[in-house]
Amino acid sequence: MSDEVPITVTVNGTVHRASVDARTHAADFLRHTLHMTGTHVGCEQGVCGMCTVLLDGDAVKSCLLLAPQLDGHEIETVESLADGDGLNALQEAFRDAHALQCGFCTPGFLMTTTALARDGRRRSREEIREELSGVLCRCTGYENIVTAVERHLSEARGV
Amino acid sequence: MSDVVESPSAPRSGVIGDSPARKEDDRLLRGEGRFADDVTPANALHMAVVRSPFPRARIEAIDISAALEMDGVHDVLVGTDVAARSEPINVLRPTPGAPYVTYYALAQGRVEYEGQPVASVAATSRHIAEDAAELIEVDYDPVEHVPDVIAAMEPDAPVLHPDVLDSNLLVSNPQSVGDSASAIAAADTVVSGRFFVNRVSGLPMETRGIVAEWRPGGRELSVRLSTQTPHLVRSQLAHCLRLDESWIHVVAADVGGAFGLKLGVYPEDLLACLHAMALRRPVKWIEDRLEFFRATTHAREAVHDFRIAADREGRIAAMEDVYATDLGAYYGSFGSAQLSSVTYSGPYRLDHGTVERRVTMTSKTPVGAYRGYGQPEVNFAREVLLDRLARRLEMSPVELRRRNMLTPEELPWRNTTGAVYDSGDYAECLLAAVDRIGYDELRRTGHGPRADGRYVGVGLSSFVERTGYASSRFLAGRGSKFGAHESVTVRANRSGGIDLYTGVSTFGQGSETAFAQVLSHVLGIAYDRVHVHAGDTSATPLNTGAFASRTMIAAAGALEKAAADLRAKTLKVGAWLLEVDDPDELEIAGTVVRVASDPARSVALRDVHEEAILGLRLPEGIEPGLEATAYHEPTHAAFAYGTAAALVSVDAETGDFDVERFVMVHDSGTPVNPQLIDGQIRGGLAQGLGAALREELRYDPETGQLLNGTMLDYFVPTACDMPPIELVHTEVASPVTPFGVRGVGETGTIPAGAAIANGICDALSGLGVEISRLPLTPELVWREIQRARGVPA
Ligand code: FES
Ligand code: FES
Repeated sequence: MSDEVPITVTVNGTVHRASVDARTHAADFLRHTLHMTGTHVGCEQGVCGMCTVLLDGDAVKSCLLLAPQLDGHEIETVESLADGDGLNALQEAFRDAHALQCGFCTPGFLMTTTALARDGRRRSREEIREELSGVLCRCTGYENIVTAVERHLSEARGV
Repeated sequence: MSDVVESPSAPRSGVIGDSPARKEDDRLLRGEGRFADDVTPANALHMAVVRSPFPRARIEAIDISAALEMDGVHDVLVGTDVAARSEPINVLRPTPGAPYVTYYALAQGRVEYEGQPVASVAATSRHIAEDAAELIEVDYDPVEHVPDVIAAMEPDAPVLHPDVLDSNLLVSNPQSVGDSASAIAAADTVVSGRFFVNRVSGLPMETRGIVAEWRPGGRELSVRLSTQTPHLVRSQLAHCLRLDESWIHVVAADVGGAFGLKLGVYPEDLLACLHAMALRRPVKWIEDRLEFFRATTHAREAVHDFRIAADREGRIAAMEDVYATDLGAYYGSFGSAQLSSVTYSGPYRLDHGTVERRVTMTSKTPVGAYRGYGQPEVNFAREVLLDRLARRLEMSPVELRRRNMLTPEELPWRNTTGAVYDSGDYAECLLAAVDRIGYDELRRTGHGPRADGRYVGVGLSSFVERTGYASSRFLAGRGSKFGAHESVTVRANRSGGIDLYTGVSTFGQGSETAFAQVLSHVLGIAYDRVHVHAGDTSATPLNTGAFASRTMIAAAGALEKAAADLRAKTLKVGAWLLEVDDPDELEIAGTVVRVASDPARSVALRDVHEEAILGLRLPEGIEPGLEATAYHEPTHAAFAYGTAAALVSVDAETGDFDVERFVMVHDSGTPVNPQLIDGQIRGGLAQGLGAALREELRYDPETGQLLNGTMLDYFVPTACDMPPIELVHTEVASPVTPFGVRGVGETGTIPAGAAIANGICDALSGLGVEISRLPLTPELVWREIQRARGVPA
């Protein structure tokens, strides 16, 4: 009864060719077919943001996409961020600000922020809160996350 | 790797009081955490669970034939299989005097809540397992259900468990000191109210999950589980599955939030194990969010009838709190909140008091532990009522609280339930909150309306919080199936570092970091040379687990002792290597052992460890090996405390309100790691604010079904929903704990509801608005405004 679809998708720079069950959602494909388990799943309804990845540079909730929709696209996940043994500047900002506790939400915030940092726009703390409101965190109370993102965005803009 | 020799006077980093980079962060930031769903053994099967759609029904028949015929389905379990092969879930934290109303992993001929597991399927994929579950036909005959604790106690209510109970009251636990009835009768003023506390979910971002693997030849049931209590789960699995405990290996790697919801076993854990044992293949189950809302314990729902009597000067003569907690349909591993009784009188002096907890059964998802465990609930009732008393007496709420607060000189104080408040300066926190929020200024400028048309008010909420357990003997008296102690093993390795083994699993609280700090502090070794291994029952000493804000209180003592043992032996070996007669002349500093008075004479820890571990050249009198295991048994609980103040503005026409500022002053004793403490307080506040302002699991009283069991309609706070929070710390070391620590994990959840409710009532004091229930929604405020104006809402 399964309906297999062949797809070609680039994940973190590596091209993957796979045959996927048509009803597999993209988060499950990343996690269970490609074994990239840094992308998490918290609701499968597009609410919690745990599954946020970049699709052609835009932050999207991968539980709302079916794996066949990834065909021909480029995906970036949290596994792409660290620079070998070192963390990247955004990850360091999260660590320094104690912006994570259990860490389950962290990939979602990191990928959302990665997309924000690329457009280089200046954002107030309030705007940052709004941008981050698509990802939930139940541990930190958000303040430290907002601080980490604010610092990172201003450093990324070179101020 | 270079051996850094530090100067004796330089302050060391990574010790108690410092905030070093967290041990946990590197892997989590890379997406390399190992959460329950991150590992799938080759050959694993996947489980799906059939759940009752009714709050209460008889099961007339179950037809599993179509499911069994499906390709890829390997096993189906129904109630009779489970009863034949396992025991009901055993209660770890029973209520004194209560009969067991526990349950099997699958329903036995009747269901008692919506979501109760009725059958389960193991199949080659989750998709197939879910499809097969849909093919299982259950013939239900719905019967009358009980929607809440008030209905449960109606004389004509159906008795939910007539086989064990005569009524829906599971047990009542009254505690009383003095003569509150006479004190109330003689008092100048008595205020009373009925307070409703909402049913909420702790809602960790990671749902529950398990991977169970059974190798009968290897005598091993290996379980990866998202849990706070691996060792307790191991004992429960042994009991429920009728296995020898030595066969069971539980691993809790990274846990994506827990908050009390991941204590002890759940039905699905047993089901996954039963499938794995029947099939001899690994079985995995990851709870989906829709299941979570019905299957993972709920929390808080309670009705408090609170009464306070005082004289004209506002001196409290007596308090009484008779409250019903909603246990739901069954008693799970932990059961409903038990700490409302312990802290009902708060930080106040009280000679005459009565508190009675009435644990009540209803037809809803079982209630379990959640951060705060009764303390937020009772705090709401008491602190709101205190403000009513202040208004009645025309006295400032600050003055009323200050007058009744225990002073540092009066501590330690045994409250009317026998709990001992160890130490602290409660009024210092109150006055700091009042000062910070600008209370007096607001009194001068009045409640408004301001230029924007809104009325403003300030609400206060003072609290004490029991952190940790007084002792194992105390728990034994309450039938507990766990002790108050914690344990740790520390073992030197040949790289010059220390492996620290703890049964405390990692779910965000930062224990890996804090434990390494304590070890570094006592031992003298560099923080980054300590590696923490957590949550694996085969590798760690037996322990209780992380809950009840007890970890640091109990574990710090174990760490202190184990470190002292290890240090003594390290120095002995070091003395031999350095040819020093008296090991007491040596110290461990970072990565070396050296002569304290002559730091240049040193030997690398790596060499000391190697000699000690290999034992090839050790002199007589020194046995090989360099490790220590220690247990610490607390002698007292430590009471954390504080006061929150909320500045609230209200639109008196619509009931819309804003928390414009929220000040939290608290004392957690000696701070092991200030950054972690701030994180715990802020995180707790977010949950406290969520429960106070927006979260509520709502049931349709007619159908008994959950109305908002998805993330789309259960509103946890987002980054935009948090009011500005200001934290103020005071620091009074507890005299009854190692290093003077107090627990901190639950503090933030306690004061929010009352502080904001009091702020709203203060803003609308001209109208005489009173609030008695949570959550505090604009609609609720609007209704109370209408009521106060005499308009039928
Ligand atoms: S899992 Fe995708 S938004 Fe929650
Ligand atoms: S750190 Fe646990 S959910 Fe955000």
